[in-house]
Amino acid sequence: MTLHPCAREKEVAELLRLGHWPDASSNELRAHVNGCRMCSDFVLVTQTFQAARERSLPSRPFQSPGVLWWRAQLRRQNAAVERMNKPILGAQIFALSITALLAVGFVVFQAAHGVGWLSWFTDFSQSRASYVEGLHVLTSAASGWGLDLLVPGLAALAVLSGVVLYLASDRQ
Amino acid sequence: MSPWESVIPNIGAADATRTAEAPMDSDAFGQFYERSAHSLWAYLARVSGDPALADDLMQESYVRLLCVTLPEEGEVAHRRYLFRIATNLLRDHWRRPGTTSIEELPEEFFSSSDGQTRLDLHALLGPALARMRPRDRQILWLAHAEGYSHREIAEITGLGSASIRLLLFRARRKIADLLREQPVAERRAP
Repeated sequence: MTLHPCAREKEVAELLRLGHWPDASSNELRAHVNGCRMCSDFVLVTQTFQAARERSLPSRPFQSPGVLWWRAQLRRQNAAVERMNKPILGAQIFALSITALLAVGFVVFQAAHGVGWLSWFTDFSQSRASYVEGLHVLTSAASGWGLDLLVPGLAALAVLSGVVLYLASDRQ
Repeated sequence: MSPWESVIPNIGAADATRTAEAPMDSDAFGQFYERSAHSLWAYLARVSGDPALADDLMQESYVRLLCVTLPEEGEVAHRRYLFRIATNLLRDHWRRPGTTSIEELPEEFFSSSDGQTRLDLHALLGPALARMRPRDRQILWLAHAEGYSHREIAEITGLGSASIRLLLFRARRKIADLLREQPVAERRAP
């Protein structure tokens, strides 16, 4: 099967495009088309498809362009808002990751130092002492961590976790 | 609603509106639509064989066209891009579960009319076109009904230019043979 196009195919295509085929074509060209398989195929197929295109009529009127334009506007706005919310979602995930990392780090650090602060609960329940005495026990049991570091750290962790959970749940 | 919008009302509205500008205004789109809708619908209806599907895909094609930043200016480029979107939508439709890949659809698929939604291809196009594979019909339609060049058809369909040349050549030869047989077949019909 040869794939070399006929040299006169463009000429025939132009006449078909302008609607001049076959009336405005020369006898010589018509004779060529009758004898050339490629050109005769081209004419036959082009005329068939162009006629089919003209006859293609929808059964109902097309949708109004205004409706389509507004639908597209709405979709673009929604997409733009969605794009803007992506960084916020990223920040939430980042905050959650940092919080989890801090929590894990804290637990690992405490485990490495003998979980000394756990003894505070035992001491606190046994002492039955006043609140001030309880704080004193806590300070002494924190194995190197001062009360002024441990309590705000835990509080910050709790608050941060709460905020992250709120944002994550509100997002969904 | 974003959590930040409860703190700062309409925080996203201004940017959202700014980025939501369509590639053409409503009037320009209306004119473009008037000039291109018939061609696009005919393409979708002939290739899919389903006028209702053609209606849906045509609307979706225009909405998607308005939602993208067009790579080129001018109506010719917009029209080509529109056909590209429509071609992709058709392909997506055939790839969905429950439908068959465009490559696997039998030639008889389009000639088996259910009498309600499918086009009466025998009456409108003749049995020859109904016996072509969908991809061949796409390429033939774009080349002979819309007058697109091989390069433009390659852009629209996502195939290579060299492939288009070969596919078009084979499809044209096949349909020409079928069209020439058509009067004989009609004479044989009761």
